Amino acid sequence: MPSFLTALKSQVGRKILTGITGIGLIIFVILHLAGNLTLFGDYQAFNVYTYTLESLGWILYILEAGLAICFLLHAYIGISIWWNRRKNRPEGYEKYQTKGGPSHNTWASRSMALTGVVILVFLVIHLANFKFADTNMITLPNGETGRNLKAVVMESFQNPWYAFGYSFVLVLLGLHLKHGFWSAFTSLTMKHKKYSAIIYGIGIIFAILIAIGFLFIPLYIYFTGGQGALIAY
Amino acid sequence: MNLESNVPEGPLKDKWSKHLNDIKLVAPNNKRKHNVIVVGTGLAGGSAAASLAELGYNVTSFCIQDSARRAHSIAAQGGINAAKNYPNDGDTIWRLFYDTIKGGDYRSRESNTYRLAQVSNEIIDQAVAQGVPFAREYGGLLANRSFGGAQVSRTFYARGQTGQQLLLGAYQAMMRQTHNGNIDLHTRHEMLDLVVVDGKARGIITRDLVSGEIKRWMADAVVLCTGGYGNVFYLSTNAKNSNVTAAWRCHKRGAGFANPCYVQIHPTCIPVSGDYQSKLTLMSESLRNDGRVWVPKEKEDDRHPNDIPEEERYYYLEEKYPAFGNLVPRDVASRNAKIVCDKGMGVGPTGRAVYLDFRDAIEREGEKTISEKYGNLFDMYENITGDNPYKQPMRIFPAVHYTMGGLWVDYNLMSNIPGLFVAGEANFSDHGANRLGASALMQGLSDGYFIIPYTIGNYIAGAELDKDIDIKHEAFNEAAENAQSHIDKLLGVNGDKSVVDFHRELGQIMWDKVGIARNEEGLKQAIEEIQALREEFWQNVRVPGEAANYNKYLEFAGRVADFLELGELMAKDALHRDESAGCHLREEHQTDEGEAIRNDEEYAYVAAWEYQGVNGQLQEKLHKEDLEFEFVELKQRSYK
Amino acid sequence: MAEEFTINLKIWRQAGPDQPGKLVDYTLDTVNEHMSFLEMLDVLNEKILNEGGDPIEFDYDCREGICGSCDLMIDGRAHGPKAMTCSCQLHMRNYNDGDTITVEPFRARAFPVIKDLVVDRSAFDRIIEAGGYVSIKTGSAPDANSIPVDKQVADTAFDYATCIGCGACVAACPNSSASLFTGAKLAHLNRLPQGEPERKKRTVAMVEQMEEEGFGDCSNFAECEAVCPKGISISAIAEMRRNYMKAALAGDEA
Ligand SMILES: Cc1cc2nc3c(=O)[nH]c(=O)nc-3n(C[C@H](O)[C@H](O)[C@H](O)COP(=O)(O)OP(=O)(O)OC[C@H]3O[C@@H](n4cnc5c(N)ncnc54)[C@H](O)[C@@H]3O)c2cc1C
Ligand code: HEM
Ligand code: HEM
Ligand code: SF4
Ligand code: F3S
Ligand code: FES
Repeated sequence: MPSFLTALKSQVGRKILTGITGIGLIIFVILHLAGNLTLFGDYQAFNVYTYTLESLGWILYILEAGLAICFLLHAYIGISIWWNRRKNRPEGYEKYQTKGGPSHNTWASRSMALTGVVILVFLVIHLANFKFADTNMITLPNGETGRNLKAVVMESFQNPWYAFGYSFVLVLLGLHLKHGFWSAFTSLTMKHKKYSAIIYGIGIIFAILIAIGFLFIPLYIYFTGGQGALIAY
Repeated sequence: MNLESNVPEGPLKDKWSKHLNDIKLVAPNNKRKHNVIVVGTGLAGGSAAASLAELGYNVTSFCIQDSARRAHSIAAQGGINAAKNYPNDGDTIWRLFYDTIKGGDYRSRESNTYRLAQVSNEIIDQAVAQGVPFAREYGGLLANRSFGGAQVSRTFYARGQTGQQLLLGAYQAMMRQTHNGNIDLHTRHEMLDLVVVDGKARGIITRDLVSGEIKRWMADAVVLCTGGYGNVFYLSTNAKNSNVTAAWRCHKRGAGFANPCYVQIHPTCIPVSGDYQSKLTLMSESLRNDGRVWVPKEKEDDRHPNDIPEEERYYYLEEKYPAFGNLVPRDVASRNAKIVCDKGMGVGPTGRAVYLDFRDAIEREGEKTISEKYGNLFDMYENITGDNPYKQPMRIFPAVHYTMGGLWVDYNLMSNIPGLFVAGEANFSDHGANRLGASALMQGLSDGYFIIPYTIGNYIAGAELDKDIDIKHEAFNEAAENAQSHIDKLLGVNGDKSVVDFHRELGQIMWDKVGIARNEEGLKQAIEEIQALREEFWQNVRVPGEAANYNKYLEFAGRVADFLELGELMAKDALHRDESAGCHLREEHQTDEGEAIRNDEEYAYVAAWEYQGVNGQLQEKLHKEDLEFEFVELKQRSYK
Repeated sequence: MAEEFTINLKIWRQAGPDQPGKLVDYTLDTVNEHMSFLEMLDVLNEKILNEGGDPIEFDYDCREGICGSCDLMIDGRAHGPKAMTCSCQLHMRNYNDGDTITVEPFRARAFPVIKDLVVDRSAFDRIIEAGGYVSIKTGSAPDANSIPVDKQVADTAFDYATCIGCGACVAACPNSSASLFTGAKLAHLNRLPQGEPERKKRTVAMVEQMEEEGFGDCSNFAECEAVCPKGISISAIAEMRRNYMKAALAGDEA
């Protein structure tokens, strides 16, 4: 029997890892979206949320470390799978098409690495912009002083480059999840004659919801010039 | 030629166990030192190679296909017989034996056939233990069905893919031994000659089908499991690569070829649709359980079958054989299809087909039930023909399916060349003049798993094999040169008629004159026509490409060259056997209803032919092994 | 008799493993709807022969969809446009007069081309060699009915056992993964009581061999299931992963 570590390095192990990290990232984006939607709440809700998050201290560091590992491992394995794909068919077909039917062989699934890398690049910019942004400090309703991240978000998305750049990435994220959601369950060996079709369906709905949820933020702010009725700023 | 059958003395049921007690054994540590060549990886070859390797012999195995798993056995559909009596319907080893020998029209050796029935049960145990997923009942036990007109349910099956599952079992067992280093497996290799040293089989010559290289292989014994020769007819249900080459070249080295004229024609195949047709597809016999066979009463009636009223339909099997109706044995059903077509009542564009109609069954049981039973077959039929069998009758016609003849072997499955063993369809052994459904798989596996592994030990332990020879021995040189020059000759003709054309023409002669029904005049013509065709072949065949490369046309040319000789022998054998027996119907010997009439006085023997050369004609000498029936009484078959 | 019609073909020609190959154009005007795809190629070959050319090499044997020899990439789809169909079972009635069809060999690093459309699939044999069997000696089997097997288990095992080893799954998989082939054999043997004792060992050995042969990872494209002439479900792949990880978790005690 292989040691557990060797097993994780095998083809099967690698897929288990993309599955686990993929699910981890899915959970993250759900939470992140939920958090971000506090932008539409009370005037200070978003800043309270980020403040609370940041004041978790070492717990946050652990979570962030976990998240970072998820992202890096996920990206590394994903890209290496893509790299192997090219290596394992050195001479391609002149003509290639899917046979349809049960196949999930679509642009979205074949381009996971591409959409993934775009997300990765986006992430670097995103973190620089938001997480490590220079912000004004502001007094929160609970009396504490915190960063006014809401202002950063609001101002960024009034810039068309940001608004549409984000939107583009978010559409790709949706496509990544369209295949990814279902795929992660299958990688984690949850495959069933009937239920898999349901999981695939849920995955598509999920991908759309996540994409729309995130997309709404930059687009709404941009098109309302930050003055929209839904957002108190 | 020595045709000593070496059947042990004693009561039928004790012969095999007594033989096992008596035969010599090779000590376990000595087996390593013995090489055995197994040619073919079908049911017989796969099971033999695996079992021999397990026993400790060094096995070298060969097949034509790119993987051992693709041997023709993979295509068998219906099932495999065994006398387990699981359904408790009164089956016994004796009954299976009796049905088999009677089905073969009393032209097989009692002792061999009895042993086959005895060993049958072990095959099922073996296959199940290997993980062969046979059909099961809800209680978890194995399911059985009745097959090919048997009165008991003794057929084990894995949906319509029994041969596939059994072959994969044998293949996997073989791959396990390959992994352990006990089998040296060579795929895409074709055996081209047998090497005989001091009268004993000591090796073979092969051609590597990828590189074209001629290679020599030495061994202490050679087991030939190369299948049947039905492809001599060009169109048959056999796989395209099935051939007689290995057996024929052994025959040319002195091995007796027994009963070549016994060819089984399967009644339910999809008819020929045109010249381009490359093979015939078998539709499972089970279709005859519910389908009714008919032709229009009117000759050359070109109405749509659905427009022909009931009273103008001729249900010829039901009318002639009220007791068995559409379920008469294969040979009877095939022969009658030919008779009605010869009378001009055949249907379809070629007039060489009869209807197999499910209308009544669908009315009686509903489309759903019928589709549950035969859905796959109906789909396959529609895919091939474009017609929907739920809406209109299928068209079927007989096609060559199985060859009972083959190299002559004794009780040990050894040919008359010491050290050359023959198993599976390649030997003549167990089915006499007609094989019952679901018994070829049984025979291949019984030979390979349970008989050869023991009898080969007996031979090796007793044979005094010259240890000093190697593949540079002159016999190897001669055989290798022989193989090479045959190839050069084929490539050198450079004529302008393709190999396929010759094969098709040979097939036509065989089908017309050495097919379902034969007569003296036709057979004599066939012999002449084949001789002429063979002459033309060597003058005018065109084989493209080169010898030292992958070249399928060259492979086929070699096989067709052998078929062109075998065909003549089959006609000769059919001509000399002036009786009807089983699948061999001589029109001179039939009842008014077209039933075969045997002549036990004069023909209760195995005809084993000895090759003596070809010069214009094929020269063969007839030897006879008399069949003695100690335990069964010879009766005329009747399915009335 | 059916009408004859014309088909244009672009067929991959390659003289040998190390030689360059290219698509060559052919036109055949004697195609008939009843012909199988391979019979159409036979007729084309006869025509090429008559014109003094070298016939196209392609693999086949049974021509009834069971041996797994035939392996054509037809218009970019393994075994052509029809689901649950082998190249040899595809009939020309699926095409119209004037159609152009591209025919290529199955491509993967682990399936090197031998000549024209013929490839070497022996990697599959080596995967089976690694563990695709039940280790039982001839003659030592208990009575076949001594271990009852749930009908459903037996039927499912059979569904997976119907794999014909054609390699279409690899050819169609964007990653050239052999997971479906390997998974199918594992799903067949691992679920039967006869195969249970070697379940872990077998799974690990076959997965390792599959990787060693140079087949790619599985990204759950399920294209393999779509092209599989036997319709084998990718559930087999999920099951393979589960058994593999279980074996690894259990470590050497297993
Ligand atoms: C469509 C069909 C359905 C059938 N259904 C049934 C059924 O339901 N029940 C039943 O009992 N029987 C059935 N049969 C008959 C049965 O399948 C065969 O008789 C049996 O499988 C023959 O097995 P074998 O091992 O003797 O030879 P094969 O399986 O034919 O194997 C021959 C082997 O020899 C190799 N070989 C041949 N020539 C050479 C050479 N020159 N050099 C090297 N290797 C060579 C081949 O590569 C192959 O590996 C059916 C047959 C057909 C055609
Ligand atoms: C950081 C950049 C990312 C890269 C480079 C990347 C890349 C990939 C690749 C190449 C795959 C396919 C793996 C395969 O072929 O088997 C994949 C799968 C997946 N990705 Fe990503 N991805 C990234 C980010 C994300 C994010 C942010 C999420 C979730 C929100 C996500 C969720 C998933 C899921 C669920 C899968 C399916 C896992 C599986 O098949 O087992 N990925 N990713
Ligand atoms: C409209 C869309 C988005 C908005 C408004 C947004 C906003 C923010 C903000 C304000 C932060 C900083 C939080 C903090 O420092 O406390 C943040 C962090 C982060 N965002 Fe986003 N984000 C968006 C989309 C995304 C997407 C699509 C991803 C990834 C796929 C992502 C990944 C991250 C990550 C990884 C962090 C760092 C979290 C941490 O370290 O705690 N974000 N985002
Ligand atoms: S799994 Fe399907 S596609 Fe793959 S080899 Fe088996 S039969 Fe062919
Ligand atoms: S197509 Fe390939 S990616 Fe997996 S599901 Fe099938 S092996
Ligand atoms: S030739 Fe046998 S499966 Fe196609």
